Amino acid sequence: MSKAKIKEVNELGTLVKIGSGIALAILLIPVFIVVLTGLNSGDHLTFPPEGISLRWIFAFFRSEEFLSAFLFSFGLALITMTLSTIFGTLAAIFITRFSFPGSQLLRALFLSPLILPGIVLGLALYIFYVSTDIGLARSYPGMVIAHMLVTMPYVIGTVSASLFNFDLNLEQAARSLGASPLTAFRKVTLPNISNGVMAGSVFAFIVSFGQFDVSLFMATPNNTPLPIALYWSLRYTFEPTAAAAGIFAIALVITSMLITSKLVNLQKFSGVKFD
Amino acid sequence: MEDIKDKNNFLRIFYTYRPILLVLPALILFIIFFIIPVLSMFILAFDKPVTGVLDLQGKWTLKSFLRIYNRSLYFDAAVTSVSLAALASLITLIIGYPLAYLIAKTENVARNTFLMILVLCAMQLDMVIRLFGLMVLMGDNGLINGALMYFNIIEKPIGLMYNKLGVLVGLVQFSLPFMVLSLIGIIRGISPTVVEASRSLGASPNQAFWKIIIPLSMPGILAGTLLVFAISISSYIVPALMGGWKVMVMPLHVYQQIAEMGKWQFGSAIAVVLFCTSLLSVIVYQRVAIRIGGGRA
Repeated sequence: MSKAKIKEVNELGTLVKIGSGIALAILLIPVFIVVLTGLNSGDHLTFPPEGISLRWIFAFFRSEEFLSAFLFSFGLALITMTLSTIFGTLAAIFITRFSFPGSQLLRALFLSPLILPGIVLGLALYIFYVSTDIGLARSYPGMVIAHMLVTMPYVIGTVSASLFNFDLNLEQAARSLGASPLTAFRKVTLPNISNGVMAGSVFAFIVSFGQFDVSLFMATPNNTPLPIALYWSLRYTFEPTAAAAGIFAIALVITSMLITSKLVNLQKFSGVKFD
Repeated sequence: MEDIKDKNNFLRIFYTYRPILLVLPALILFIIFFIIPVLSMFILAFDKPVTGVLDLQGKWTLKSFLRIYNRSLYFDAAVTSVSLAALASLITLIIGYPLAYLIAKTENVARNTFLMILVLCAMQLDMVIRLFGLMVLMGDNGLINGALMYFNIIEKPIGLMYNKLGVLVGLVQFSLPFMVLSLIGIIRGISPTVVEASRSLGASPNQAFWKIIIPLSMPGILAGTLLVFAISISSYIVPALMGGWKVMVMPLHVYQQIAEMGKWQFGSAIAVVLFCTSLLSVIVYQRVAIRIGGGRA
């Protein structure tokens, strides 16, 4: 290789590195700032920063507003995750295992909450709850249903993907050795897709925990998820207590993604799949 | 033993005899709480607009849609929505491509997983929390203005936020992970032999990049751009916080008409316009995605 060409390779590599650095900075700097604000000793994060203290962390634990919102979101995410995982896994098995006319349509239906703007879905449900007057408007079950709709696509997507990747020959081998269809599924297929199921449920949890759009029309003073509580406080002021709540949310997200990386091959993962 | 047998019978009903039962809970949920509500919202948008009460009168009219078209307040909001989302797509592509390229070409498994976790964490973290950080950075008393004034570069704060610039930065921060994830797969799929072939035929690394790698990434570029467009135009929280209600876009009007003014029909009509704009880009996205996936839709 000539010297000029080596220089060009390096230049291209440098450009990619600089670009990646900018992208990572845009992604991560706001997150670091939240952590800094939550651990800052002053009332505001200023330049240069004043010092480090845990006062806002303690303030968060005493805060009626943010602690209760955090716990509310955590509970809501747990319930949503459980229901979405059950409904979604069963539906994914059906869609991938039984071909029938319209199966693609059904798959598209289950994934469509991903493409519907969250605020539009929230509004549609709110209109439905109010007009039918079946006690779901601004209620806890009403909010759980809204969160299930936006989290099930993730469960169905991940579980379907792991069913697609699973080698059907293994199940057929079990069948040919005398196992019933059910036994073959339970003993051979299910253990192989369990990672997909768990990854899907982690996603359901974290999507519900950070859900803002569909919660907007559903929230009441008694039912306030963390994103909504943070939004209301951010409209007026930057409260360091809110940043302290953010630190715990960040820790939760990092933990979830570490778990996901152990469960599924992230190299094959391409995020939200619409296909 | 009894237990296991019971469980088997339970599953056997599902798996062998009535597979439709597997999908029934999800299907019922989606029909009642997804299809019916979305259809009702569409129907409501075509009803005669009234204020205050949620009531379907059955007087079909296009009045709400004409109002969006004729009133500059709403028409401008639609234009702002589309132009901000389009700009965000373009900027996200330029910023996201190098990172996607880096991740796609990182063969070290640990490093690759680490970068993927960073992108996924940034994507999954509650947008309100990310906006908190961005607002502390860009506000009038924020870190950027603070640093610039500390070093006497500027005398008074420059407005980085509560304007279109702020909303744009917020949208880029919001949608960047989606762009990166759309691109990684397609860049990884480009066979190194194609690039090597072009090099052995005398192409310089720059030529190989612009003439081979970029054109072969085109499906991912299109898909990512359309996806980012669709999610940016739908965002309520970014313009609400970064624009401080000074940059009016469609999602803000939807909320305002419904929650603050009780104009159910008109709010629904704006939601329908928003939905259709975003759907249009998703339909194009899907066509592209099918072509990438080689017909596996």
